Amino acid sequence: MADDILSIENLRVHFDTLDGPVEALHSVDLSVGNGEIMGLVGESGCGKSVTSLVTIGLATCDVDEGSVKYQGTELLHRDPVHIQRNINISSTITALSVLAAVVTSIWILIEPIQGVTMVATLSLVGGLSWLFGFFQKSGSRKHMNFMRWIRGNEISMIFQEPMTALNPLYTIEKQVSEVMKEHDRLVAPEVSNLRRAGQALTTPVRLIFESLFTRTLPSLSILLTLTFVTMAHRTGFAGDLKIYSFGLILLIPLFEFLASRILNSEAENEYNQISHQEIAKMEGLEIGAPQLIHPAYFFLSSMPLAVAASLIIFLMLWMPFSALMGMLVICTLLALPAIMLQDYLRLDPAHRRQVVEILEEVQIPNPTAVVKMYPHELSGGMRQRVMIAMMMACEPKLLIADEPTTALDVTIQAQILKLMRNLRDEKGTAILLITHDLGVIAELCDAVTVMYAGSVVETGSLEQVLSRPRMPYSIGLLHSIPRITTGSAERETLPIIPGQVPDPNQHFDGCRFHPRCPFANEKCISTPPPMVEIEPGHFAACHHTDRTTVVSDVQDAFDEFALGYDGGSQSKEPQEPLLTFPLIDPIRVIIEGIKKV
Amino acid sequence: MIEDNSTGEILIEVDGMRKWFPIKAGMLSTVKSHVRAVDGVDLRIRRGETLGIVGESGCGKTTLGRVLLGLIPITSGSVRYEGEDIRSMSMSDLRRRMQIVFQDPGGSMNPRMSVRSIVGEPLLVNGIADGAELTQRVAELLDSVGLKKDHMNRFPHEFSGGQKQRIALARALSLDPEFILLDEPTSALDVSVQAQVLNLLSEIQNKHGLTFVFITHALNVVNHISDRVAVMYLGKIVEIASTRDLFDNPSHPYTHALLSAIPEPSLEESSRERIVLSGDVPSPANPPSGCRFHTRCPIAEAGRCDTEEPQLQDVGEDHRVACHFPLGKGQRLPVIHEDESVDEAPKVNLL
Repeated sequence: MADDILSIENLRVHFDTLDGPVEALHSVDLSVGNGEIMGLVGESGCGKSVTSLVTIGLATCDVDEGSVKYQGTELLHRDPVHIQRNINISSTITALSVLAAVVTSIWILIEPIQGVTMVATLSLVGGLSWLFGFFQKSGSRKHMNFMRWIRGNEISMIFQEPMTALNPLYTIEKQVSEVMKEHDRLVAPEVSNLRRAGQALTTPVRLIFESLFTRTLPSLSILLTLTFVTMAHRTGFAGDLKIYSFGLILLIPLFEFLASRILNSEAENEYNQISHQEIAKMEGLEIGAPQLIHPAYFFLSSMPLAVAASLIIFLMLWMPFSALMGMLVICTLLALPAIMLQDYLRLDPAHRRQVVEILEEVQIPNPTAVVKMYPHELSGGMRQRVMIAMMMACEPKLLIADEPTTALDVTIQAQILKLMRNLRDEKGTAILLITHDLGVIAELCDAVTVMYAGSVVETGSLEQVLSRPRMPYSIGLLHSIPRITTGSAERETLPIIPGQVPDPNQHFDGCRFHPRCPFANEKCISTPPPMVEIEPGHFAACHHTDRTTVVSDVQDAFDEFALGYDGGSQSKEPQEPLLTFPLIDPIRVIIEGIKKV
Repeated sequence: MIEDNSTGEILIEVDGMRKWFPIKAGMLSTVKSHVRAVDGVDLRIRRGETLGIVGESGCGKTTLGRVLLGLIPITSGSVRYEGEDIRSMSMSDLRRRMQIVFQDPGGSMNPRMSVRSIVGEPLLVNGIADGAELTQRVAELLDSVGLKKDHMNRFPHEFSGGQKQRIALARALSLDPEFILLDEPTSALDVSVQAQVLNLLSEIQNKHGLTFVFITHALNVVNHISDRVAVMYLGKIVEIASTRDLFDNPSHPYTHALLSAIPEPSLEESSRERIVLSGDVPSPANPPSGCRFHTRCPIAEAGRCDTEEPQLQDVGEDHRVACHFPLGKGQRLPVIHEDESVDEAPKVNLL
């Protein structure tokens, strides 16, 4: 349709594996209207995520046929057949000549001139064929750049697991700001680059002063030590005193031990009604094992620090200039540049304010503190909200949400769903929501598409699919969810769909659901069911739509079918050995690998 | 302490159970504070019932289950199995009576062991069966969970998630226990497979007369399978009642919010009002004073809820709730809108 923001037609893709191609999607037809929330539902392994990844061009599979159109623009790129053939030939020649060059390089040992000539010729052949392939690929490279622009600016994606989607090594502000930078949405920086460099150069001095005020005790002890060493040299006692510096190996742990005793009793948090001593007593009474920490433990654990400190002081007393030079070298070569660089690369205040504003939009409490945190410091709901904030900030017209709430608790899930609904209502963003939870679908979506084993089996408006499902799988899926029943007596057993989702390797001529379907007959086994329009906008892929009008009848049929179902026939058979020719296969793997590079 | 006045023989008694995990910090690894995973739980588990424990992640459900089984030592309080403290029982005796099915069926099995050795290991370790007898017993067990005899020589990776969970159940059943702890047995499974496993669980319970504790975060599953339900929040039980009572007349505001937050896959109910709680669950290392829910509670009253900790009190037959202002039958929580204004319509009749 013309007004659809995204329309996928007859998409068929496969993954190349060592056991041959595995067809992941068979025939996927899907369309998302402007400002519509489309739910894509199905069990794991049915191809929901592959569909979304193919759409934004991140999938690692090969598209056999079909088209994905975003506002009328084709998102899939397939080279014409002759170019594909050329690329294939050139990459094979490159791979073979590299392999041959490596092998013939042995010849150099026997006949140097002949060997070098052969290697040079083979390298030349390889290089030329690579160059040929490079030019042949220019079309797909152009498309890749185009997709890079589409992603983020036009279509954004929220991934399932927010912890793996965020980088654990960078703070939230860095990551959000990076997205802004990639999509040219950064506000003008407040501090110019020159001023920033000047600031960075003076940072070490500032840091020393700051540490004197904020961490007084350690800074003072270092200063005292230095004064002591200088005085010792001035008075000439350094040589006699140096051996006593090893006494610190005992003194430092003792000091730590005493300090921890004092600090522990002071730092009693206000909510703690029971102190740690009481807990220890309690544990001692209950389990009979005293939990007090042995003083020897303190001595052992602070030993590395104590040994290092005493060695340094010993060195400073013994040969002051060497020690000084050593410290200077370490500071100027390693520490100072690192500090300055870190300061130079710090986020601009204006950019930070921009990130705070972005986070405020998704109602993250206390965003000024959150921006400086790392992903692990946030809870699952907060992380997911940061992900949504990043995606929303680019104002995409289509948002693909791949199981956005699966890892979250129900109360947090309710917050996230509300957020996504607001996004649609306020900015008119169309959403493709991928989930296996029909409850979430009912909550949020306008239209639903049900997938089973790589193909779409039913599609229609929310009301059509949820109230009047016609494909037996959709009916079974809807009814196998335990409902919260209030009042009356409950049903003893849950209605089930017998059997399991078929292996993607398995080949079917007809309907892929037929082994689990109570209505299956010869026709279902031999011919794939077409999408039948049952009512305007409501399609179902089934040969028996005339028999599925009454939901309870289908349910009874399922129950009856489940009783006689032979569970064993569906279980996986032991697989055939993967490598039939153990000698040839590794070579194939190597050539494939070189071709990929 | 709970005085249990309802019928049914008590199998497991839990009194004042606390499990605090120390937080170590600094170079000296000194104990700075504790994560109060479970903080004072009293529970009675009756013979032959299914007790569902629900709560959000981090509320201490799993820790409660593990302490119940003696998998991790208890900090304070006691767990008594048929009147005997589990710390004084021998491990082998304990394991013959109490078994567990873990959340991740793949992760709880050794990938190098065949199904025969996985299911048969408890029998072998306890010296119950050996050789051909073991094979015979394993075949029976597999049959009872709906698997076939020839699955015995396969390895875990050859099975689907639902089948793996069946194997885990067969392993738990192998010693013929009286009590099985099910720690989120279906949350890793697909909907249609979940239904199969839930049906199997009910069937096995009826056949063997087992007592189940079913830990989950899915309220619809708990509603289907449990006789009684305990709702946990930040290491404490906030409400415990029979399933029917809890779902019909929830008393604690948290239970209300939890029930209203579940998305139901039907259209009729999707129009009902949702109570969207603000904020996240506070950290169990530093729980709020007084009632732990008061930071997110729409009816919390300053001066009482944030200072005084509510105890479990009876509000109906076999229905206990830890709240200063339990909601009565048919009462609703006030709906809080985005602009923090409170709907005036529902007048909550506070005690």
